Amino acid sequence: MGKLKEKNAPIRTSIVMKLDNVTFRFPEDDKPILQDVSFVIHQGERVVITGQSGSGKSTLLYLINRLYPANCDGILSGEITLWDRQHEDYLPGEVNARIATVFQDPDAQFCMPTVEEEMAFTLENLNVPGIEMEKRITEALEATELTHLRHTVIQTLSGGMKQRVATACAVLMQPEVLLLDEPLSHLDPFTAREYVTWLDELQTKYGWTVVAVEHRLDHWGDFFNRRLQFVGGFVEHSDAVVVPPIVFNKRKSTLTTETVFEAQGISVEVNGKSLLEDVSFKLKSGEIAVLAGPNGSGKSTLFKAICGILPLAKGCIETGRTYPGYVPQSPEHLFVTQRVEDEVLFSKEAVPELVGDMMRRLRLDDIADSHPFAISHGQKRRTAIAAMLTEKRPVLLLDEPTSGQDEAALHELHRLVHTRAAEGLAVLIVTHDMSFAASVADTVFLLKEGQLTGQFLAEDVWQNESLLLAHSLLPPSGGILYGTS
Amino acid sequence: MVLHEQLHEMNPAMKFLVVVVSMLTLAWFFNPWTPALFFVGVVLFQFVCSLINWKLWLLLMIPFVITAFGYLWTTVLFAAEAGGTVIWTWKQFEVTDAQWTRALSLAFRVIAFSSISLLFALTTKPVTFVISLMQQFRLSPKLAYGIMVGYQFLPVVKEEFIQIRHAHRLRGVGVEKWWWQRIYGMRRLLIPLLAAAVRKAERAAFAMEARAFTGKPRTTFFKPVPVRIHDWILVFIFVMLLVISGLSGVLFMNN
Repeated sequence: MGKLKEKNAPIRTSIVMKLDNVTFRFPEDDKPILQDVSFVIHQGERVVITGQSGSGKSTLLYLINRLYPANCDGILSGEITLWDRQHEDYLPGEVNARIATVFQDPDAQFCMPTVEEEMAFTLENLNVPGIEMEKRITEALEATELTHLRHTVIQTLSGGMKQRVATACAVLMQPEVLLLDEPLSHLDPFTAREYVTWLDELQTKYGWTVVAVEHRLDHWGDFFNRRLQFVGGFVEHSDAVVVPPIVFNKRKSTLTTETVFEAQGISVEVNGKSLLEDVSFKLKSGEIAVLAGPNGSGKSTLFKAICGILPLAKGCIETGRTYPGYVPQSPEHLFVTQRVEDEVLFSKEAVPELVGDMMRRLRLDDIADSHPFAISHGQKRRTAIAAMLTEKRPVLLLDEPTSGQDEAALHELHRLVHTRAAEGLAVLIVTHDMSFAASVADTVFLLKEGQLTGQFLAEDVWQNESLLLAHSLLPPSGGILYGTS
Repeated sequence: MVLHEQLHEMNPAMKFLVVVVSMLTLAWFFNPWTPALFFVGVVLFQFVCSLINWKLWLLLMIPFVITAFGYLWTTVLFAAEAGGTVIWTWKQFEVTDAQWTRALSLAFRVIAFSSISLLFALTTKPVTFVISLMQQFRLSPKLAYGIMVGYQFLPVVKEEFIQIRHAHRLRGVGVEKWWWQRIYGMRRLLIPLLAAAVRKAERAAFAMEARAFTGKPRTTFFKPVPVRIHDWILVFIFVMLLVISGLSGVLFMNN
């Protein structure tokens, strides 16, 4: 449930939107997700709304651009005024012509094959006359420096470029307000920062009012000039838009000398294309290692190769009794049963005596009867980890567990990983989040274009900014390492 | 305009109409000559007015030819008595000329239908087709863009399918010894795939609506798909082909 109220700041520009005691409830819920939310946003402001996952941030955004309440039969009370008119007085599509939105998922916001066709779709919706379309498309592409992509098929672009194309479609609409729904959450840190710089220039040029929803502000720098925060029932309007970085407890290393996993010169080819070349590394019991590198450098391929999903073209793996356990970015991809407990018990290799204990340690005993698809993301990941660990796998591989997670979830992950390592497991984590990596890792492996650049001690690698930058990474935000241990 | 591009450039909605009308018309002819002539005509037409990949065409025709052959011999051997003179006997089977004609007509009908469908499929871009349906036949934009989004999602769903199968392999699902066990195991892929598809579909719908898509018929088009004089000429050629093959089929049969 979110509550949001603020004092009126004296700003001279005209009011773009005004929310007055807005309460909103989904028909299937008992409690409202938004409660008595009131705030005012003026022309030209850059406002960010922060809060935990599930706090109602996105819901608020969808109310502003009128996707809700019509699309979910939600129950709305209070007043939303956009410019000089009531929210509900606008015709369908009328608000969307003035308020453009960029969404979170780069793969699910386009409906046409090429950039040009996608842009034309937008203009056709606005009933722009045929002759003017060509002009507006050319202008928008020039303004966003995407002219070279005009005839490119959108699906072939990288995530960062897709977000730029989505933004270009917004530019094309010549909107007055730009809404951003966690636009960085699928991008790597370097790409994210580039996007923010690019957006900054565009905003300065067009003078939009920007309203963004974001759970982490790390990559935004000083982009925003006002922050509204959802804190469970608590009212906050903060001028501090540069959020202090999340401080994790620096863990005490549990590294031992016993090697539990060794890869020697492994190469992987898929359809004749070499994805990994001559990668060798070792993991020790109790070690937490981080694997990082740009998108497409072969991190997921490496994971799939060392847990036996993809065949090796060359090299060998020594890993004791069983292969490492692997938890994909979407843990539900692993699920094959209808109950959490069955999921943990599923494998033929599972040791039934371990299950009860495992369920308790991973706090799954309360949800043992739930459907694995109907639990929270954190619970899904714990279920997946439990399923892997009952097979007595010596190594745990976590693919992007930090992506799209809020602060509470990251702290939980931190504890979870540390506890597993303390039990003697080796854990290898793929992540872009260097603050998280810095707090948790003993060792860092950097991967680029299918080759391992090297193995680094965690303490050393953060100093070497150029090395990190070469792998599309940014050093962890300051202060992180001084947490209590 | 170059002759070889004519069929590719033809208005897709008109082309579609022609294909449907041809099929419906051919269904009224029960002589083997009409579909055979029509087939030859379509291939010739395609040869002169299109730039299709003939290797691919041959490959795609194979299953249809097999089907046609299946029709041929089953009709010859098992069809109801049709009368006529016996032209061939083998053991207890007697084949009359009437039976043979009917079998040939069915077989050629399959070939003719498939050739005209392939002509359409190989010379038409799906996106242009949908846009053209929207402009010429007032297909609702809701349906049209729905189809288009579905088309964009195919590669995404395929990628998701591969990811899930990889993950399942780790759990020992999909690595069973026998193919029927693996096929049976596929059912486990359905829930995660559907769950992901529903999620993506909702997001895509939101994104479209946020770009002011309302589903109302549109008044302007960036690239209008016009009906030009060329299209009418091509339609005329198709109609002539139909008339000629129909008439000559009937004439041949009566002689």
